Amino acid sequence: MQIDFKHRLSAHCESGVSSNLLFHYGVDISEAMAFGIGAGLFFGYLPFIRINQLPLTTFRCEVGGILKGLTRKLGVKMHFEKFRNPQKAMAALDRSLESGTPVGCRTGAYWLPYFPSAYRFHFNMHNLVVYGKEGDDYLISDPVFPETQRCSQEDLVKSRFAQGALAPKGTMYYLTHVPKDIDLREPIYKGIQTVCRRMLKIPGPIIGVRGIRFLAGQVEKWPRKLGKRKASLYLGQLVRMQEELGTGGAGFRFMYAAFLQEAAGILNQNRLLDLSAKMTQAGDLWRSFAVIGARTCKDRATESDSSGAMADILRDCARKESEIYQELLAVVKMRRHGQ
Amino acid sequence: MDNKEKLKRILIETLNLDGVTPEQIKNDDPLFGDKFGLDSIDAVEIVFQVEQHFGVKIRDMKEGRPALQSINTLTAFIEARR
Repeated sequence: MQIDFKHRLSAHCESGVSSNLLFHYGVDISEAMAFGIGAGLFFGYLPFIRINQLPLTTFRCEVGGILKGLTRKLGVKMHFEKFRNPQKAMAALDRSLESGTPVGCRTGAYWLPYFPSAYRFHFNMHNLVVYGKEGDDYLISDPVFPETQRCSQEDLVKSRFAQGALAPKGTMYYLTHVPKDIDLREPIYKGIQTVCRRMLKIPGPIIGVRGIRFLAGQVEKWPRKLGKRKASLYLGQLVRMQEELGTGGAGFRFMYAAFLQEAAGILNQNRLLDLSAKMTQAGDLWRSFAVIGARTCKDRATESDSSGAMADILRDCARKESEIYQELLAVVKMRRHGQ
Repeated sequence: MDNKEKLKRILIETLNLDGVTPEQIKNDDPLFGDKFGLDSIDAVEIVFQVEQHFGVKIRDMKEGRPALQSINTLTAFIEARR
């Protein structure tokens, strides 16, 4: 059985799955728009959460948050379910497929056999859509791959029930109601407002632009505090979180810039075009940081590629992003006052 | 020197591929994996070098992953974008 599901390649799994699921029901929004309305952009340095025994740095909101934020703002209803029992989880998946419903699943990417070995590591937050089953194989629309994929039942079970941090626990979801006419304007403003508030106003030192500054201080200290080898591992993890995992590049900053550019057209707000350009500049700064980070952890650093240089770049990122979010909030505020 | 040759020399130099000569990198060799010992962290440097030397940006892995398969795919990407 195979559902007629349009597979579209995307930069990031959750926003790609969100965009593709909505497209299936006739709502054609880009991945960047799904990410922006879903308020996906974020920063958090969370040393108490360990991925592969290394501290977690996140450039996006919580797992599932993009899809939830997006569907809520658009008035789309979604069924979301977790499981303890793999048999029940697979039976529920089969039932949905039989009823003609494409199903989003959260998985551990390491167990998906079609992932090339160079890109395979334990990452339990990978989203994909299952759109059919042929014999023992499930048909997969994995948005970070150009073509659709197949996955055996055994591998899909392993992947849906991968162990470790942020285990997916068989999570699956599907859309149950999609309104006929969707006006994107208000959801765009709300999405922007959510991101700005999170980045500027969440108390504490490890979240938002304050978190970026905090990370700058940590990066500067790591070689002294942890030693060269461990500092390299920490940096490597940070670079992977920023440039891989389908972040759209530069920890989602490029994707958010694309969203702002698109939003400028929909809202007829030229100011958003300038802010999109500034967000791209912030992304370029993040990427410069990643280049030095990659060189350092691969033992290729030059004299100028120091931890101090990396910390300075991060402080620049924080300053630039702080300006952007304040200006974005002003755009939202103007809208509230009808200007 | 054509773009493939140039790219091979840049990769050898910037990724410290000690003992590897341009002749040893076949145009369709996978860039990542066992042969050259490169992994996804090295992709960050390659993306940076492509921008520096060819003025071509690879924004994300959506476009980067197909481009970064081999010298052939990367050169094709660069030439299509220039």
